[in-house]
Amino acid sequence: MQPLVTIDQLWEMASTWYSTRLQADSRRPQPDEIRKIFAGIGLQDDFWDPSSDSFG
Amino acid sequence: MDFDTQVKLAIYHHFAETGCGPSPEDIASRVTAGVDQVLASYARLRAERVLVLEHDGATIRMAPPFSGVPTQHSVEAAGIEYYANCAWDALGIPAALQSPGIVYSRCEQSGDPLQLEVGIDGPKSSDWCFHCLVPASQWWQDIVFT
Repeated sequence: MQPLVTIDQLWEMASTWYSTRLQADSRRPQPDEIRKIFAGIGLQDDFWDPSSDSFG
Repeated sequence: MDFDTQVKLAIYHHFAETGCGPSPEDIASRVTAGVDQVLASYARLRAERVLVLEHDGATIRMAPPFSGVPTQHSVEAAGIEYYANCAWDALGIPAALQSPGIVYSRCEQSGDPLQLEVGIDGPKSSDWCFHCLVPASQWWQDIVFT
């Protein structure tokens, strides 16, 4: 079974990720930050680990 | 402020003000630069995963949370209709705008239409779930599919 996320968790993801998107100092989270964001809302298994991904 | 940040913000503000993706000419006008400079910036922003471009390198498919094309996830906020790339981005639009909104989508299991009011502090309580098909490490292998 693939991971299911509740609406409350999804809001936490969305607001953490996007609430500053229209601001000058906004930037996309890096993989370590992504992992921490997901862990903070209870998404901690390998499915939510972006560590094997990389980008410039 | 560096040029790519100016371009990025001009794109986001265009989406926020209109609900639609900008043309390179729109952005060139906003940042007072040539279209070639804007397109070069698009390519750099794409490499940083700030934008997803169509094959022409000039049309914005995604500036998350905003979609440059109609999708099944629409958001109405402050009288403007937006399209989101996915359910996560659908909640991301009210968050980015810092404005309440209404999300319209559909249940992929039943096909039933869905409508969710989202306030400044988040959506009303719901037992709906978001099903993520692709592991996080593979999202950008095909972000449109993801």
